[in-house]
Amino acid sequence: MTEVLLFSMILPIFSIPAIYLVGRRSSRKAAEIILSFTILDLLLLSSTLPEVLSRGKYSEAYYWVPMLGSPLTLFIDGISFSIATMTLILIASSITFSIKYMEEGRSLTEYYALLALLTVGLVGVFITSNLMIFYFCWEFMLIPTYFIIGGWGYRESYRAAFKFFIFTHAGAVAVLLGIGAIYMVTGNLDMFQVKDLLATAPQELLKWIFVAFTLGFAVKMAIVPFHMWLPDAHAEAPAPMSALLSGVIIEAGAYAIFRISLGVVLPSIASTLTTSQLLHALSILGVISAFYGALTALAENDIKRIVAYSSISHMGYVLFGLSLFPCTEGMIGVILHLVNHAASKGLLFLNAGAVMKKTGVRDIDKMGGLASKMPLMAVSTAISSFSIAGIPAFACFISEFIMFMGGFQNGSTDNFYYATTAFMIVATVFSLAYILRFYWKSFLGASKIEKVEKVPLLMEVPMVILSTIIIILGVWPGPLIELISSALKV
Amino acid sequence: MIGILEVLTPSIVLIVFSILTVPVVNQIRKHGSPRRFMSLAWFLAPFFVSAIGIFRLCSDYYAQAERQPFLQVFFVGGEPDSFSSSFLVDSISTYMAIVYLFVGLASCIYAVLQVKVESELPERFFALLFIVLGSTTAATFSGDLLTLFIFWEASAAGSCFLIIYGKRPEAIEACLKYLIMIIIASGFIVYGLSLIYGLVGSLNFWTVREALVSLEDKRLLVVAFVFVACGYAIETAVVPFHMWLPDAYSAALPSSAAFLSSIVDQASYYVFMRVLVYILTPPKILDWTFALATFSALTMSVGNLFALAQSNVKRMICYVCVADIGYNLIAITSVKPLGLMGNLFFFFVGGMTTALAFMTVGILNDMGLETLEDFSGIGRKYPATSLALVVAVLSFSGIPPLAGFMAKYMVFTAAIEANMAWLALVGVLNSVLQSAYLIRLVHYMYSKPPSPGIRGKENRGALLPVYALVASIIVLGIYPSLALKIIYPAAKQLELLIP
Repeated sequence: MTEVLLFSMILPIFSIPAIYLVGRRSSRKAAEIILSFTILDLLLLSSTLPEVLSRGKYSEAYYWVPMLGSPLTLFIDGISFSIATMTLILIASSITFSIKYMEEGRSLTEYYALLALLTVGLVGVFITSNLMIFYFCWEFMLIPTYFIIGGWGYRESYRAAFKFFIFTHAGAVAVLLGIGAIYMVTGNLDMFQVKDLLATAPQELLKWIFVAFTLGFAVKMAIVPFHMWLPDAHAEAPAPMSALLSGVIIEAGAYAIFRISLGVVLPSIASTLTTSQLLHALSILGVISAFYGALTALAENDIKRIVAYSSISHMGYVLFGLSLFPCTEGMIGVILHLVNHAASKGLLFLNAGAVMKKTGVRDIDKMGGLASKMPLMAVSTAISSFSIAGIPAFACFISEFIMFMGGFQNGSTDNFYYATTAFMIVATVFSLAYILRFYWKSFLGASKIEKVEKVPLLMEVPMVILSTIIIILGVWPGPLIELISSALKV
Repeated sequence: MIGILEVLTPSIVLIVFSILTVPVVNQIRKHGSPRRFMSLAWFLAPFFVSAIGIFRLCSDYYAQAERQPFLQVFFVGGEPDSFSSSFLVDSISTYMAIVYLFVGLASCIYAVLQVKVESELPERFFALLFIVLGSTTAATFSGDLLTLFIFWEASAAGSCFLIIYGKRPEAIEACLKYLIMIIIASGFIVYGLSLIYGLVGSLNFWTVREALVSLEDKRLLVVAFVFVACGYAIETAVVPFHMWLPDAYSAALPSSAAFLSSIVDQASYYVFMRVLVYILTPPKILDWTFALATFSALTMSVGNLFALAQSNVKRMICYVCVADIGYNLIAITSVKPLGLMGNLFFFFVGGMTTALAFMTVGILNDMGLETLEDFSGIGRKYPATSLALVVAVLSFSGIPPLAGFMAKYMVFTAAIEANMAWLALVGVLNSVLQSAYLIRLVHYMYSKPPSPGIRGKENRGALLPVYALVASIIVLGIYPSLALKIIYPAAKQLELLIP
């Protein structure tokens, strides 16, 4: 089949009428429909794997708006493939988790329909090379998320959603300026063609394009001066949505910096001084975010806010890794970390949601001793949080390790990176600290909660799947690293 | 060969129908058995007849567009005399005629479903609507400054009656304000035109243009430009001449507001563009771009800031209209094919979106919901109407895949292309501000509990044209080529004027 990518991008839309038809009678059925569509989508996307492995890249082009420069181009390579697949797995897990988690309260038909719309954006962002379609998908991630956080969240959820919307939309508009400037200079919108065409562009402008893009993407990533929206949005969203927010949406920002800011714009900047200044700035921001997130998480008591701040910290790691460009280890580490962090943080949010749902408590001071009451939960939380803390044999350790290796390698040519890498290694200590504190207070120690409901099977299944993935990626990352580095070589 | 009659068919049809409307509808009311159906048929008939007329005109025009991209048609055949009225058919005027007809049809259907047929003497309303539409279309096709002025003032006069229709006290005041403004404006324009006539000896677009290119001493031209531009700026409601617009549109009935904002507003941008870009083409004739860019930035910012401060939703939409004028001016300022493309797309999309917003707000106003507080919780109470309003609001804030995004994208890119990155930056910041207050509206609609006073059912009948517009906004957002195919030749033609 030749239209695989187009279909895998728009397939979820077709589920919406069915969701509405069935959802009137039972929301469970609606969930089953969207789940089966997501799995179908996953299979469809996986069918490109042989092509990706043999040729390194698979692409499609369609007629769209010829007056605006470029056809609708979709592509997939090792990097897109690994992130998009992880995204779909996480979406499927969140949907399965939602069936029992969301069962009370408002009608869920719209929730599932919005989730289907969101899937279009989430998958599209990773598989398109047309900047305009990229922007479409970028904003497509925003609207359904706004309504899901607002409509099905906790406490003042619409306030959090509002903050999320304004911040990320403001960032997106900066991205739009960058896209406009690129179109003006090159008359084209395809990432790969633009890359070659930009070499002749005015240097001063290129610098500003880089800044505009990176600023916009950094807002989505919640890098420190722009992080204010994240704790609220993540903490007030329903748990499956938090998992997607942390696991995919903020990572889309990192992916976009990798693909567009670094991949398209930066190589055309001729002056090495400017390049290294820009990269140093990213590196410093990364260190600040990593420390800020870890220290705040150490001070928080709200279970979801701890996990949310840990996301800021991890995006700091990723930004640090991105600043190592064009070091191969650094880039492999970043992409691998995106995949690992998606699985680990997604699972951690699901765990936190399940704990909140079944105990009715958010404050970790009031928890304690949950391990004996929900053993499977204790194990899966241990796996996800140890991975987040960077303990060996769990996924995130590998990617952090590779990033630090890249950091030292870069340090041999530019001493600046020795310093930032050292700082990052110190930051991992704090990561370990907040994770241990969180795990100790909630699952170990003396029991403070009398009544704990049993976690239903449908909530446990996605946890088991994600835990397995974390372990596999932790002990046997070889094939994935190979897939990613094959894409970097092209 | 395209004759004068062919050019004017749509306008003539609309005006004839307008004259006949009052007696015919009276007859229908007396004798017709399915009264509502028959009057609806009568109200829709002129649109179909003029659609056929425009279709024929377009096909004839495009058959020979290669030879004569700017086709002039004279009243009495032969050479352009100094006072002979002439009409101009090119890609832009045909495109605008199609836009008016489409959006006009939607607002007409809405008016039929919304204005209570028995109580408020609707036939006069429709007669006015047709005459405004007819004269606007004629103004679009006019080929000299005088014809443009005459038809344009005719449509402005008709708009006055549309604003005042319903005779609410605030409408009378608003109408007076509008009337005074357009009288001042027409005074300015006439004075400017007399200066131009004195300089050139003709008012025909092309004669004026050719004579001005070779003009040495441009001091008098600057004076004329200031008067003409100010005159048309008043009618377009460019800040600082915008005061009449929020009053007029918020006092008018929802169907008049939808119609005026979508037809007369867009037509006034068109006139502005025609005079500035096509006649006083910069930089060859007069370089006004920087001055206009300043006004554009001012208009956007003032419009958005005032909209931010409004608690009445309809007034807020009115200020969004003002801000939209600013975005359109960006595109005019750029004087680039891309900007023109964005501009023409914006005319269409902006017209549809404002019409959609006024229509949905009108439906909700009818149930006594006026302020942001009143709009609390209507998302659950009236889901269909609210959804349409959300689409309008998101399209205003330029969020893909809605058509408003494409329009804004082209406009901002044109500004960067014209070396006015600062203007694009102002536009983008404004766009963020705009989405902030518009999302606040959505926030009210969906997050708060509905106030207990809300009663009444959704007027589902009136939702038919509303959803037609929603569908067009989405389709044009995903596949803008539908409209860009017609716009593209116009953008190409601009290259003939600017070497």
